[in-house]
Amino acid sequence: MNSIGEACKQLKDEYDACFNAWFSEHFLRGETNDSMCAPMFKLYQQCVKKAMKEQQIELQEVEKDMLGTDQERKVPPSKS
Amino acid sequence: MKIWTSEHIFNHPWETVATAAWRKYPNPHNPAVIGTDVVERKVVDGVLHTHRLVSSKWGFPRWAQALIGSAKICYASEKSEVHPSLRKMILKTVNLTFCRYIAVDETLCYTPHPTDPSKTLLKQEAVVTVQGVPLTAYMEDLLTNKISLNAGKGRQAMEWVINKLNAEVKDLTKSTDEILNHTKRSFDDITSTAKKSMDDISQKAIKSLDDIQNLRQSSSFKKF
Repeated sequence: MNSIGEACKQLKDEYDACFNAWFSEHFLRGETNDSMCAPMFKLYQQCVKKAMKEQQIELQEVEKDMLGTDQERKVPPSKS
Repeated sequence: MKIWTSEHIFNHPWETVATAAWRKYPNPHNPAVIGTDVVERKVVDGVLHTHRLVSSKWGFPRWAQALIGSAKICYASEKSEVHPSLRKMILKTVNLTFCRYIAVDETLCYTPHPTDPSKTLLKQEAVVTVQGVPLTAYMEDLLTNKISLNAGKGRQAMEWVINKLNAEVKDLTKSTDEILNHTKRSFDDITSTAKKSMDDISQKAIKSLDDIQNLRQSSSFKKF
């Protein structure tokens, strides 16, 4: 599978392989610690963010960290 | 605005389908998707949150290109959550490239089948909105038809990945068996070689002892 950045392809492949193993062998078995692939993810992230900037992909919304912040849209509390 | 929904049952457990969902592309059943990049990913309270940028090549009819532009590569933003304890995976995709005129919001939800937990239920919904261009309703119909067609391809694509995964697992079992057999054979070889050499050594030792004894005997004979 390609990456938007040609240069990121190898970093992506390495990270994806790590993630796929982590997902089925750790995460689905209840181990939520994701430090296993963190170093690879960091390298891959840096490359992708750079490629996105270079290609001027207008993804302000994409670049913004929403997950886990107050801005994340959540289901309103049910009225009980 | 046009809403399209559909349900599909996969004859595979949820874990298999969720694993396959991450490995859906590249896929011969959906060659339009040419790239996926993870923009953000984290585990919060046991839930895996992922934000991906999906790059795809869309072939619009020429007359439609004249209206909405002929972007060669389109980008979509896909946000997903995987709840392993609930056995639920939900993916929401929004196209980014045609934001001005067309909005396609697609939601996929994988959960275990309510009556048969060894199967997985996929609920799919797409909302198509076209604004600010002529022939709005016609364009919405066109896109909705395309989504319907692509949904079928998406299921085929998932089955293809699951087959591939199962084959990998079989390969893995097969190679483990082979390694075990091989190891056993090598052990047998080593044991027999070792046994043989031990036999050789003992035989040689016996022979040497005999020789020594013979030598002694012959020398003692000489003495007397």
